[in-house]
This record gives sequence, structure tokens and C-alpha cells, in this order.
Amino acid sequence: MDFKLTEKQQQFREEVRDFLKAEMAKRIDSFGSIHLAGALSREFSKEVSRKGWIGLAWPKEHGGQGLGYTDRIIMLEEMFRVAAPIAYHYMADRQVGPGLIHFGSDYLKREFLPKILNADASFCLLFSEPEAGSDLANCKTTAVEEGDHFIINGQKTWTSGGHYAECGWMLARTNFDPNISKYNSFSEIIVDMKTPGVTIRPIINMVGAHAFNEVFFDNVRVGKEYLVGKRDNGFRQIMTNLDYERSDMVRLMQNYRVKESLLEYVKTTRRDGQPLAKDPLIRDTIAKLEVEYEVARLFVYYVAFLLDQGKIPTFEAAMGKTICTLFEAKLADVATTLMGLPGILMPGSPEALFDGVVGESYLWSPSYTLQGGTVEVLKNIIAQRGLKLGGKS
Amino acid sequence: MDFNFNEDQRILIDTARRFFEKESPKSLVRELIHDSKGYSPEVWQKMGELGWMGLAFAEESGGYGGSFTDIAIILEEMGRAVIPTPFFSTVVLSGLLLQDFGSPELKRKYLPKIGEGKCISTLALVGKEGLYSKSGVGLEARPEGEHYHLNGTASFVPYAHVADIIVCAARTSSGEGVTLFLIDGKAKGLEAIPLKTISGEGVDCVVNARDVKATPGQVVGEPGKGWEYLERLWPKIAVVLSCQCGGGMKKVVELVTSHVNERVQFGKPLSTLQVVQHMCVDMFIKSETSRHAAYYAAWLISEGLGGEKEAAIAKAWCGEAFKDVTKIAHQLTGGIGFTEEFDLHLYTREAKKLELLFGDGAFHRNVVAGRVGL
Repeated sequence: MDFKLTEKQQQFREEVRDFLKAEMAKRIDSFGSIHLAGALSREFSKEVSRKGWIGLAWPKEHGGQGLGYTDRIIMLEEMFRVAAPIAYHYMADRQVGPGLIHFGSDYLKREFLPKILNADASFCLLFSEPEAGSDLANCKTTAVEEGDHFIINGQKTWTSGGHYAECGWMLARTNFDPNISKYNSFSEIIVDMKTPGVTIRPIINMVGAHAFNEVFFDNVRVGKEYLVGKRDNGFRQIMTNLDYERSDMVRLMQNYRVKESLLEYVKTTRRDGQPLAKDPLIRDTIAKLEVEYEVARLFVYYVAFLLDQGKIPTFEAAMGKTICTLFEAKLADVATTLMGLPGILMPGSPEALFDGVVGESYLWSPSYTLQGGTVEVLKNIIAQRGLKLGGKS
Repeated sequence: MDFNFNEDQRILIDTARRFFEKESPKSLVRELIHDSKGYSPEVWQKMGELGWMGLAFAEESGGYGGSFTDIAIILEEMGRAVIPTPFFSTVVLSGLLLQDFGSPELKRKYLPKIGEGKCISTLALVGKEGLYSKSGVGLEARPEGEHYHLNGTASFVPYAHVADIIVCAARTSSGEGVTLFLIDGKAKGLEAIPLKTISGEGVDCVVNARDVKATPGQVVGEPGKGWEYLERLWPKIAVVLSCQCGGGMKKVVELVTSHVNERVQFGKPLSTLQVVQHMCVDMFIKSETSRHAAYYAAWLISEGLGGEKEAAIAKAWCGEAFKDVTKIAHQLTGGIGFTEEFDLHLYTREAKKLELLFGDGAFHRNVVAGRVGL
């Protein structure tokens, strides 16, 4: 056992911090929304690319830095800490690139990996559908072969970033034999979001933000060379991909500023002449959050360690995400409660504390335990893969 | 970062697990609950032969110069086997205290014996109220010329009735500090009476002191600094107890998963029911996170990198987690889990005690609050 980061990793953390200090100072609105929806800046992503930090954990032969997942977590931790606007390259860096490297043809790698690395293309994920949420295998969107093309028809939804992404990473049905398991009926296909027949409609979420969209496909023609990996193997490929998605830090760190704001509030506020920080109930409440945060953080590093060991964190990634997201779901509730009525002031309001970040976070919080697999779906995975319950493995 | 145990640690884990599986069957654990000594001298002697009591003491004190993490590993395996022994009280509560703060004379005199497993020792700390604070210290020391007289009642003192030596924490009558005295278990005026707790009848004792005499040579470290020493020992105590919880939890998860896989209701194993699966996962998450939290703190301490905050996090988390795990386990094992015959209650008893021992969740969270600047 040795929990120390290497000298190099400690230096890297410092380098990321220095970079962010300079970059964030350039931005007029240095703290915009802490949510990815509001954290879009292609210029910033370009700067990250110039540092070589997109594709940090990709192998060198594919243009990455060949560094480890632990290094990537270090970088993300620092970026989330200051709410850096990483949305433009985030999904592509995290799971599209690794997915292509794993399964993509040479053509697709040549075509898309450089674009991702240079922040020239943003990706959205076209997985969920109105009838396929937690039950992803219930996808109805079809991709039918016609000569050199697939003809795509159907509807996707909850597509984050669909309104600005140049490319979509899609799951569509390609096998219609009723005797074949539906898990062997889907393929992954890359779609140019500007292709005729693609219609994008915004969905305004309950916070009032335009984060996700519904995307309609009406006889959209996509060349067969945009098939990722093996035909009809898409579902399995996605499951591997999701382990990367869940080996992440976003659910722990996206609301870091809420945690910090709460701590600052408690340290600087007096009620009835007494400092809040001396109230035993307040101390216990804050410490509960801190304990959960540190326990979850350690687990995120553990999952990164497993990946760096070449292991696939089949249940550990799901467990990490569960812990992180349960912490996150609680954070804004605790913060608004401790701050009282000023806690519900929204960004832009007169008298708002901490730019209204706490109130806004409360409105976002129902989504945390849903996206990227609900807590319940994650628990199913942990039960089946980690504890071998229910006869499946 | 490397979350894996190293080769030596893996060997120690393996040896300890096999040892306890062989030497402490659950039939023995059940007997010991009602045993007046509260431990098995045979098991204790064999542990001594394996050299475990001296694992982490310096070589000049007759130890093996191992790391603190080794002790944590033994405690985890003991937690898994749920076997009561005087290991924690002897090695951690008094052994490490002497090693870290005792005079060379005291160390020379006692540590080799402790290391060989020939000296059971313990710490008399809190009074009848069981409060872990300076004012909660049970005994009082009055200077009498060159000597001290100890009076009062300390409670929840593990194995005091069988201890060869007892480190007694005592408030000085001037009211300021706490001084630690190393007292012979058979000293005149000292009596130890076993208490009957939910975890057993022969472990925790109430210790009454009536004019127990102590010389200045029996003072551990400097007079008046006892509480400071204890505060510095506290992270180690918190970590080993966390590891003990971790070992217990892991075993309970195993007990329950095999139960729900075997138990058939509605024509299928309980484990096919999603609600049951999720409850098992809740236990599993607590057990897995506890392991990392505890060993991270153990590592920091072993490396001399502090670890005060992390130890408090570990105990706050693991103590409550173990208890919560036993609660879920009872719900999932139903009637059989409530019987004397099924092993679960052995853990249920221990979990509640471990939650409270040396500070409950709130106690340790208060430490954490201090560490984040509150």
C-alpha cells in the first residue's frame, strides 16, 4: 500500500493549477454556471488541447499522452474545483476517444481522434430514447443498410449538448431478426449532426437551462464507414464505454463550489451573537458531508488505480458513481437548509449569496442520481457483477 | 498510488485469517461471551508465539520493528473472526502508549514482555459515564509527599480483571492536567469487577481505586501531560477500531449474501428480488468504502504523515457503517438471523460496542469539523 502520488503527479497537479489560474483570470465571468450546460467554451478547450491535456490518458500512438487514469483524475479534480468550462471536449475526451481506440476502424480513428484532440469536434451521446431510459436495450431507432449507407430513423432524447455538438455517437438497431437477442441487435454509429434529416429540439429543464435536447432522425443517410466496431455488437461496446463514464469525478466535484460556499458561510456567519461554526449541530452536519466527500474521493482514486492496473472496474466504477452522486444529491439540500432563506436565492437575484450557486444547485440536484445510469440501475450492476446475486454474473 | 497490500502484508493477512479460522471457531466465540475471563488463554498464547504482540514495537524494545499497518491488519482479521482477545487493550491502548510516550525504563521493563505475549495490559480511562473527555476521566491522583494516591472509579476498562498492568489515567487534584500511571494489576487498593455488556460478560470492567499508591517512576511520560498523550494516540486507536469494523462488515456481507442466495421464497432465491439486491449493495458499499478509509488513515500514520483527520473520518464512517450493516443484515436474514444459532448476533453485539468505543460518530465528526476550520 502506498497512497502517495508520485513526484511527477504532484508537479502535474501544480501545473494544472497554474494553467487554470491564468485561464480563469482571462474569463470575464470566471464563475459561470458550475453545470456543464453553462460551461461551454471552445476557446478554453483549445487551450487545454494546446497543453496536450485532451487525450491525457489515451495511448501515445493515438495522439494521447499515454498517462494514467490517476493523472486524469488529478487534472479533472483541479478543473472541477474551479468550475472550468470543459463541456466542449469533455464527453469526447472521456468516452468517445477511448471507445474509438477500443473498437473503431483505422479510418474512424484517423478521421475523429485528431479532431477530438484539437478541440475541433464536440460529441453528444445519442443513447436514450423516449421508450429507452434505464432499459437501454429497448431502443427503437433503426439503421437500415442501403448500399453503402445506413438509413436512420427514430428519436433520441435527453441529448446533452446536442445543440452545439458537431457529431453524435449513436446506438441504433441494425438487426431485426426476432429470434436474436436484443443485446445482439444494436450498432454504434457516428452521425454528423448537420446531416439532412436531423432535427434538434431543445428541452428546457426545470432549472430553466437548455442542457439537453430531443433529436429526430428522418431518413438520415450515413456512410457505412461510420459504423463503430462490429455490427450488432453495439450494446456490449456501450457497456464497456459506460465503465469509463462512471470512472469519473464529475458527480463528486461538479458542485464543489457549493461545498466551499457552505463552509465559508458557516465560518463567517454569526447567529444570535454566536458563530455558527461553534454550534454542535452545524459542526456535525458539515463534518458528515466532509466524511462522505473524502470517502467518495478516495474511492474515485481507487477506481482510477484499478484502471491503471489494466483492470476493468466492472462493479467498482458503478459503486464509485453511486457514492459520489448520493453525496452530491444531498449537498445542496444540506447547504440550503443551513443557510436558511438566503440559500434559495438564485443567480442574478439581489442579495444572492455566492452568486446564487447554492439555490441553483438545489434545482439541479434531482438530475444527479439519474444521469449516466440511475442509482437503482447502478445498484443492479453492483449486485449482479460485484456480489453475484440473482443468478446472473 | 497503490491500493494493494504488499507481499508481507498479504502473507500476514493470510496467516491471520487461517489462524483465526482454525483457532477461534464460532463455538469458542459463543463460549467466551459468557466466560468470566473473556478470552481464551490458549488462543492468546498461540498469538504470542506468532509474535503478533510485538509486531510494531521497535527492535530495541524486543519488537519486530514492523509498521502500524500490521497491527491494523491483525485487528481487521480479529474483527472478521469476532474473537475477543486482550490484543487491542494490550498492544494498542497500553503498548503503543508506552512505546510512544513512556520512559526508557518503563519501555525496557514492559515492552519486551508485552511483545512476547506474557503481559496482559490495559488502559483505565473513562468514568462511569463513559465520556471521552478530560473531565470524564474516572480516577483522581493526589500527591502525597514523593508519591501519589489514586482514588475513584474508571469504567469500561477492557480486561482489567486479568491484566498484569493497567495504565491508569488520573486527573490531578489541582484540576488541571491528567497524568498516566502504570499500575500493577494486583496493586493494593485496586479492584476490577467484570461488567455484563451486550457484547459479553468478561471483557469490560469497572475499576475501583482506593488509595492506590504510585511512585514518580510509574508515571508514563511527564506528569500532567497524559491527556495530550492520549490525544496523540487517539488516531491510532480510531484506525485499528475502524479496521476491526471493516473485518466484521466484510464477514457479515458474506454471511448475508450466501443466505439470500440459498433461501427460497415465492419459488425463487431471495437474491433474485431487486429490493433484496439493493439492500445487499448498501451493505457492500459500506464495507468496501470502510476498508479504503481505514487503511488510508493507517498508511498515513505508518508513514508519519499525520492522519489525524483521516483517522477521525475512518472511525466516524466505519463505526456507524458496521452497525448499519448489521441492521440491514438482520432485516435480510429474518427469523434465523435472530437466533442464537446463527452467527450474525456475534457481529451485531460487537458492532454496537465498536461504534461507541473511543468516540462515536459525532465525537469523531467533531474532530473532522475542527480539521476543516470550524
